[in-house]
Amino acid sequence: MKAGDSVDNKYFHSVVLQEDRCIGCTSCLKVCPTEAIRLRDGKARIIGEKCIDCGECIRICPNHAKNAVTDKLTVLQNFKYKIAIPSLVLYGQFANKVGVNAMLTALKEIGFDEVYEATIGTEIITKVIQEKILKEDKIERPLINSSCPAILRLIQIRFPDLLPNVVDIETPIEITARIAKRDAALRTGFDISDIGVIFITPCTARVTSIRNPLGIEQSYIDAAISMKEIYGHIIRNLNAGVEENITLSTRESMEWSIIGGQSKAIGVEKYIAVDGINEVIKVLEEIETGRLEGLEFFEGMACVGGCIGGPLTIENPYIAKAKLQSIARDLPCKETSEEQIKQYIKMYEEGLISLTEPIEPRAIMKLDKDISVSMKKMEMIEEILKHLPGLDCGVCGAPTCRAFSEDIVKGENQKSICIVKTMETFKKKKN
Amino acid sequence: MSLIQYHFNVEKDDFDRAGEASSNIKKILRQLGIDAAIIRKVAISTYEAEINVVIHSLGGVISLEIDTSSIKITAKDRGPGIANIELAMQAGYSTASDKVREMGFGAGMGLPNMEKCADKFEVESVVGIGTTITMHMYI
Ligand SMILES: Nc1ncnc2c1ncn2[C@@H]1O[C@H](COP(=O)(O)OP(=O)(O)OP(=O)(O)O)[C@@H](O)[C@H]1O
Ligand code: SF4
Ligand SMILES: [Mg+2]
Repeated sequence: MKAGDSVDNKYFHSVVLQEDRCIGCTSCLKVCPTEAIRLRDGKARIIGEKCIDCGECIRICPNHAKNAVTDKLTVLQNFKYKIAIPSLVLYGQFANKVGVNAMLTALKEIGFDEVYEATIGTEIITKVIQEKILKEDKIERPLINSSCPAILRLIQIRFPDLLPNVVDIETPIEITARIAKRDAALRTGFDISDIGVIFITPCTARVTSIRNPLGIEQSYIDAAISMKEIYGHIIRNLNAGVEENITLSTRESMEWSIIGGQSKAIGVEKYIAVDGINEVIKVLEEIETGRLEGLEFFEGMACVGGCIGGPLTIENPYIAKAKLQSIARDLPCKETSEEQIKQYIKMYEEGLISLTEPIEPRAIMKLDKDISVSMKKMEMIEEILKHLPGLDCGVCGAPTCRAFSEDIVKGENQKSICIVKTMETFKKKKN
Repeated sequence: MSLIQYHFNVEKDDFDRAGEASSNIKKILRQLGIDAAIIRKVAISTYEAEINVVIHSLGGVISLEIDTSSIKITAKDRGPGIANIELAMQAGYSTASDKVREMGFGAGMGLPNMEKCADKFEVESVVGIGTTITMHMYI
């Protein structure tokens, strides 16, 4: 399936349930940061409206019943000219002795005409934030990175008043995709529609954003192949052909996918970098209540360790981090000329790499459009809650007793019952 | 007109749970569909009031009352009270101990910030008995 093909893009989610594998164990109910999962008829159900595609449930599911919808290798057949953009995370997934050019050559051998590094994207963002956005006060402080789509979706739902703090610049991959496509069109003479940009992704949230973009009208990425899935093919191709000299990576770009790497590259003094969605939520709470005064930049990444901890990676994030840092040590630092910086800023001002569409708040927590109805519903929720045991056991299919009560009041749950409560009543009757 | 009431206990020196009341209140307001800008004001001022109860008093209760036109936050504590309210309201005035300052509080900005965020703001205090802060935000 090609990104953009599907009719129901608006409701597309990368994270899906493989029903036959789900045994209804409730593990995923508890880890979902937006309470987007319920058990119905003994199977997990993802509430599309609430899902931010962070991949927490994929990671925790002991039965591998949660999956990511990504493109298969056959997607390459859809294009005359194929460009792979591997997430920089890929560089940390191999044994120490494998050099970057060896990895990229092996990736290319799979059937790509070209491998384009995301380095260019990280450089442009770094410079534009440094030399333009931080020097103006168009965007509220602290600036919040726009690079993690799971965090953006979280902010839409839970921290809508922090949306004006989000940096209005595209992600490294999207920027790289645009440049790669433009370059290839000029160089090869192929029509843009014949050129396929395929992202090698560690990230489920990004897959969703390709189909259903945030802040831009349309993504330039045509397909996304899971890093997990393509890994075996790369390994098989290692040392198969003549190693090409592909990489142009710099030290800063190599650390971009490690939490704190963006802040360090930008060189901003007062920053906080937080990884793991639950910790991000806690710190955003602090920012929302004005407790972190003087903070200039907030870097929040949903995955532990940053994108190196993405749900579709192979290597343990801490090991991947050590590997990336070791690669980084041997790389040159980036020197950007004044000329280039000017050009980057121009691209930003002209809307080429900036977010051109507003990121709207999504008030899905709201009980009703009418506040007095909301208040009545709230009262009912509290009333029902009084009769529930407060164990948050999950057997009813909701993550907490409160969520159960809310579902009942919202009319979203007619079937389930609270077993604990039923047992208590039963015992009382017997005595 | 329906009225919603919530009460949250706040313990003296319980820094671990400090912020829980304001965080809960924020969640409730979001579910009710209150405007984000108003929620932010309520969250900031409730947090300041909550921290003051933790730091300066012997403990108390934060209450949230909502009707269709306004949100009312009350922070009522038992404790030393405030002898000179006018002085306490001045930006930068603080009697916080060095220990509390090390934790990042004690800039003397809590009360002025509450006043700034609230549409109506009142302090009542009796020395040796306690303090009650009342704030209204119109919705
Ligand atoms: N609930 C209270 N009980 C007793 N004294 C209080 C109470 N609230 C405030 N005060 C007094 O008023 C002073 C000013 O309060 P305010 O909240 O403005 O500043 P702070 O708490 O000292 O510092 P900050 O709020 O900036 O961390 C306090 O230092 C304290 O002496
Ligand atoms: S941290 Fe990276 S991999 Fe994880 S959700 Fe965010 S962008 Fe995706
Ligand atoms: Mg204070």
